[in-house]
Amino acid sequence: MRRARYRKQKREGFKRLSDISSGESVKILRVNARDKLLYKLLDMGFIDGTVINVIREAPLFDPMELRVQNYLVSLRKSEAQLIEVERV
Amino acid sequence: MIKVALAGQPNCGKSTVFNMISGIYQHIANYPGVTVDKKSGRFKAGDREVELVDLPGTYSFSSYSAEERVAKDVILEEDPDIIVNVVDASNIKRNLYLTFQLLEIGKPVVVVLNMMDVAARRGIEIDSHKMAELLGCPVVEASGAQGKGKEEILQALKLIWDQKSSFEEFRLNYEGLEPFIQKLQRDFTKIDSVVSSRWLAIKALEQDMQIIQKLEKMQRGIAQKAKEYRLQFHEVLDRDPESFLAALRFDSADIIYHKCVVEKQKDHVTATDIADRFILNRWLALPFLFLVMFGIYELSIVMGYKITDYTWPLLAAVKNFTVDILPAANFTEVPVITEFGIWMVNSANALLNYIPIFLILFALIAILEDVGYMPRMAFILDRLFRKFGLHGQSTLPLVLGGAFVGGCAVPGVMATKGIADDRARMATILTVPYMNCLAKVPFYTLLLGAFFKAEMALMMFYISTVTVFIALIVAKILTSTVLKTRETAPFVMELPPYHLPTFKGVVLRAFERVWIYIKKVVTIVLAVAVILFALLQFPGLDEERRAHYAQKSQEALSYFDNRVRGSDYYALVDTKEEVSRLLNFYDGYKMKRMTASGKEGAQAVDSEYKALNPEFFKFVKPKGDAEARKINRPLRKLSRMRKKILMDIKDEKVENSLLGMAGRSIEPFTQYAGFDWKVNVAFLSSFAARESAVATLGSIYENNKTKEGARAEETMAQNSGYTPLHATAMIIFMILTPPCIATMIVVKFQTGSYRWMLFAIFFPITLGIATAITVFQMGVHSSLNGVEAMTFFYVSVLLTALVLGLMPQKRINWSGGLPQSKVRDLH
Ligand SMILES: Nc1nc2c(ncn2[C@@H]2O[C@H](COP(=O)(O)OP(=O)(O)OP(=O)(O)O)[C@@H](O)[C@H]2O)c(=O)[nH]1
Ligand SMILES: [Mg+2]
Repeated sequence: MRRARYRKQKREGFKRLSDISSGESVKILRVNARDKLLYKLLDMGFIDGTVINVIREAPLFDPMELRVQNYLVSLRKSEAQLIEVERV
Repeated sequence: MIKVALAGQPNCGKSTVFNMISGIYQHIANYPGVTVDKKSGRFKAGDREVELVDLPGTYSFSSYSAEERVAKDVILEEDPDIIVNVVDASNIKRNLYLTFQLLEIGKPVVVVLNMMDVAARRGIEIDSHKMAELLGCPVVEASGAQGKGKEEILQALKLIWDQKSSFEEFRLNYEGLEPFIQKLQRDFTKIDSVVSSRWLAIKALEQDMQIIQKLEKMQRGIAQKAKEYRLQFHEVLDRDPESFLAALRFDSADIIYHKCVVEKQKDHVTATDIADRFILNRWLALPFLFLVMFGIYELSIVMGYKITDYTWPLLAAVKNFTVDILPAANFTEVPVITEFGIWMVNSANALLNYIPIFLILFALIAILEDVGYMPRMAFILDRLFRKFGLHGQSTLPLVLGGAFVGGCAVPGVMATKGIADDRARMATILTVPYMNCLAKVPFYTLLLGAFFKAEMALMMFYISTVTVFIALIVAKILTSTVLKTRETAPFVMELPPYHLPTFKGVVLRAFERVWIYIKKVVTIVLAVAVILFALLQFPGLDEERRAHYAQKSQEALSYFDNRVRGSDYYALVDTKEEVSRLLNFYDGYKMKRMTASGKEGAQAVDSEYKALNPEFFKFVKPKGDAEARKINRPLRKLSRMRKKILMDIKDEKVENSLLGMAGRSIEPFTQYAGFDWKVNVAFLSSFAARESAVATLGSIYENNKTKEGARAEETMAQNSGYTPLHATAMIIFMILTPPCIATMIVVKFQTGSYRWMLFAIFFPITLGIATAITVFQMGVHSSLNGVEAMTFFYVSVLLTALVLGLMPQKRINWSGGLPQSKVRDLH
């Protein structure tokens, strides 16, 4: 079910932030987080329409380093998964 | 008095600005979340008194972290007159997001553009006049680290204070939300607060629980109203007020940014980017991290230990001095006050001995903090730690605790303060004490030297590496049981640009932390030492035994008397008082000679004692004097006899003491782990400071068969009747416990509860004794030797950790909906 939704999104040009590889820039379409995580993300500048630059993955592949609003931030993939983005 | 609150985003330099304008020293570091509590200071600016409150850094005023609660409370409860908003000029856009939230609180604001030097270096030009015009508040340029901007900030404060009457409330037009804000404001009939009602309305619509609860207390039904309006707003615009507001504020920040800021070198690669290419590189990051850790370990622990060789004589001198001023022993009758004094000095010295190590360690950590490597460490290792319920930020506490062969849990536990995730923070606090405490090393050396001479290296490898796996397992167990319901926080962490540390800051911080250590830990440990002393002294020996020892002393004295009668000097030593004084003289001399360094030191001791009593000195060092030698030899023998009697008395006292009784009473149980009562007493007394375990064991096993000067290892191997398997059980127990009192005190501080402290004491003890019993019984029944049993233990731990680590985990990434209880009702 989740898989299907994922495919649908992919067809429509959606991607999840967690799937973006290093060096690419994307634009936030939607933040699917709730509560505390949503607040945190909003405060850190993850606003719809903001451009994010994926800098790198951590050596053990998990948190990813991003540039948002001109500063660097680290985000776990499990959380990045909740952010829908599109290529710019 | 003017009350000023200092607010700003994490790591923007608030504490630096605080120090600069107040002249009061405050903790600074280059990672977010250093100031977790509010700190305040008073100072005079011109003829006015100012109270300045340094708030914890907050990215905004809308989410629910502990820091934001503290910050908001100060604004609400303490009603500051002016808010000084420190802004990181090199990261202005995100910082302005908070500025707008501060402005709308409705109090006069002064914006301080800090880190102007960094901004200039990055080619960021800021038109502060224009910004002041647009925001309607003074905007001051500053550079806290270089001490620039103090006068200007004070001036701006004065200006605002003088023109308070003409101050007009700031308002940001929230467009679609405006009707709801105004409606809610009109509903506020019974709300009476020092802050603007518009702000309260906005916060309530944003669903800020802290504010809503406050409002609800003043006027029932407000929460419900706010909820209704939220829903209405959602229907109209298909958005939640919080994301709508955030977007609007960022847009406003963007406007200021575009009008007032010119970035000449946008897209220019910064030094931080280049450094991170190496430091966070997939292949280089871990080796580099390892190198840093290893460097810290080498410099602080290894080198610090060497430095203690030089500082130890100082502490020994203090001890000698104490011995000198306390009443001397009358042969085998040692006054209680003397025993007590020496005990206390020993307890204090055992801890103070680590100060050089701590100084270096804290200085290095301060450098890492200032440079900005800490959050990167968390970034690199987060994945690994998360598997076990810990957090990337657990790295440093664990390393300090001794993940690398040795450390100390006290600074380790203290370093957990910055961990944002509450569950991971608790788990870290509770696992740091499992790390290799430096003070355990002598204990291991004693046992390894006694029972594992050949396999020493292998055993030491086991001991020093197994702790990390144990800590991971324990963390996993705790976070999936007792800590399961604890709040967790998303790991959205800023990676600040690298800064050069300042010498002054590093040194100040190192000393400050050492001072805290001395103040908090040493004082409490001394208090416990008093209790322990009492437990070891009372009830003491009974009449009959005392008579027994009195007779022994008499025998020793007569022996001496008979031997020296033939000497020409007999008149000098023919009473008990004289003999006793001579003996004290002799022992004092020997002790000082032992701690004196080099030939000159020895000569100094010689001349000191010669001057003290030239006659006695002849007996101590007879040289060619044949008559004096007649006294010298029996004197040496007598000194040994006295030591033996004192030791026997002490042993018997310990055996009969309250602690001894405790040790005995648990023997029936601990014997399954191979521990007899003596071992129990050693472990019990090691609770005060682990060094005492060695001292207690060492002294318990010294006996008359032991030849003079034999090392504790040898006596133990000969006299204890233990096998290496016993030693393994003891080592395993020691690895898992006992937590030392100093650590428990900091655990109390960091968790803020005695219940967790007690948990931190009894959980490891239970785990330790259970494991020791299991391994010992395994060993006995399958006739394993010590090393085999230890290998078995090591492999089991390793496998457990691997299994737990590889276990796939499904994380619930969503929340909300109906409360669980309601959902259950539906079925
Ligand atoms: N180059 C430069 N560095 C600065 C300046 N002001 C502060 N710093 C450095 O920035 C780092 C953070 O400073 P702090 O004063 O601890 O920041 P804070 O806002 O109190 O941080 P939290 O309490 O964690 O919210 C430290 O390494 C300071 O030395 C400045 O004007 N220029
Ligand atoms: Mg601070």
